[in-house]
Amino acid sequence: MKPHANSFTLSTLAVIIFTSWILAGANVAFASPRQNILADYAARVKIQTPGFEGFSTDRGKKLFLSKPGTGKPDIPSCTTCHSNNPANPGQTRAGKAIEPMAVSRSPARYTDFKKVEKWFRRNCKSVTGRICTSLEKGDFLTFMINQ
Amino acid sequence: MDSNLHNNLPRGPVEKPDQYRLVWDLPLRLFHWFMVIAVSVAGITGFLAPSWWLDTHVVAGYAIGILLVFRIAWGFVGSHYSKFRQFPMAISGMLRHLRMITTGKSDDHAGHNPLGSWMIAILISTLTGLVLSGLVALAGQEKLGPLAFLTTYQVGHLAKEIHEFIAFVLLGAIFLHLTGVFAEIYIFRHPVLKAMFTGKKPMANLSPGMKTSAYIGRGALVFVVFGVLLIGVGASLAGKPPMGWRAVDVPADYKSECGDCHVVYHPGLRSKEAWQSIMAGLADHYGEDASLDEASVASISSYLEKNDAGTFDTKAANQMGKVNTPTFRITETRRWKRKHRKIEPSVFRLKSVGSKINCNACHEDASTGLFNDSNVNLPNGAQE
Repeated sequence: MKPHANSFTLSTLAVIIFTSWILAGANVAFASPRQNILADYAARVKIQTPGFEGFSTDRGKKLFLSKPGTGKPDIPSCTTCHSNNPANPGQTRAGKAIEPMAVSRSPARYTDFKKVEKWFRRNCKSVTGRICTSLEKGDFLTFMINQ
Repeated sequence: MDSNLHNNLPRGPVEKPDQYRLVWDLPLRLFHWFMVIAVSVAGITGFLAPSWWLDTHVVAGYAIGILLVFRIAWGFVGSHYSKFRQFPMAISGMLRHLRMITTGKSDDHAGHNPLGSWMIAILISTLTGLVLSGLVALAGQEKLGPLAFLTTYQVGHLAKEIHEFIAFVLLGAIFLHLTGVFAEIYIFRHPVLKAMFTGKKPMANLSPGMKTSAYIGRGALVFVVFGVLLIGVGASLAGKPPMGWRAVDVPADYKSECGDCHVVYHPGLRSKEAWQSIMAGLADHYGEDASLDEASVASISSYLEKNDAGTFDTKAANQMGKVNTPTFRITETRRWKRKHRKIEPSVFRLKSVGSKINCNACHEDASTGLFNDSNVNLPNGAQE
């Protein structure tokens, strides 16, 4: 009976290990798309800054409220269209309403990497006259996620 | 002696009721007063009201059309004095009547007198011209109504000019009509206004007597038959696809890439060349970076070029879409400026409007490219 019992223990163990692998894999696959986007930006920052300690809500807030004055004169700041408070809706210069930037108000935001990149590309160019760094993008998203 | 003269009649109203005889049958009187109402509504909405009263104007116009068809039919099958062949239309008779008026007299006539007959002829033909030109204008300009399936914008535009001209002719005709009525009442002492209510005139020696109720049933029948016929044919023609307009299937990337920032403009609002230049200059799109990836640029460009202003024959496509401005802005076209000249700048700054280029804020049908006058709805706080 003993060898039999051993093989039972072994197979139970195998099942447990296998299941936890599946769960771990699922955890990666089902991690929030927003966290994946942040992780992606973090990975890019780490390549250039090995001592990187994580994104900062404060830096993101400062960026959001800044008026760099190096972009297009009609839109000196993020707040020109998005309003001073990320919890409030904004309005484009053309008059179209913009959903609040805060994730608490617009839960669907920052879940499509392509879309996030598109708007960073366009709006960073418009406001700052250059493309944003991965650090700036990560800080900005962190600020919005924590609003 | 002129048989129209009844010199033996006393001047002024005859008070003995037995000498009042029915001249205007009930259907004719109803026709007259409904016409007064319909023309008043059409006149006020056409001359005075802002353009978004077009719906009401058009309904009044349809009513005038049905009333006119009834009146013309009634001129053949109505009671004695309603019949056109009883109208003393001879030029010689009219000249004699005119000469008589200059001496301060107007002889009695059971039905219309010669000038009155000509007045009716002028009113009926003027109103007919107004209804027809209005239908063509509505069809060509707004792509609405029974003639929309065969009317180009150019023809509609011409019809609108004619419609406006005839409207002034009608104002003159109404003025003459009222002058005649006042003169008959106050100078020549013929109670013609009362007669248009009671139907009765103080005419002795009236040859064809008429029973009050005899023509009511026939009038109702004629009205219903022609009314149903006109509305039925009109509605079925109005259901046909209008000439020079089609619904477009807006691709998803045009909706999202362009529509995230501004109104999803109807492609007929700009010319092919304008769209090409706009798509080539997205990196600096009216002060913003609106650049797109190549695949989106290609697919959006192909949609715009296939559906540009040249492919639509609407008011908006002709007056704005086909007109290129230096910056390609729609708001710089003459048409746009003229049509919005009375809108205060503060209206464009309202939160619900936001900017001049947010067409949808007032034009409920902006996405169709039709911009019908009747679909303008100013937001709260905005007045023209």
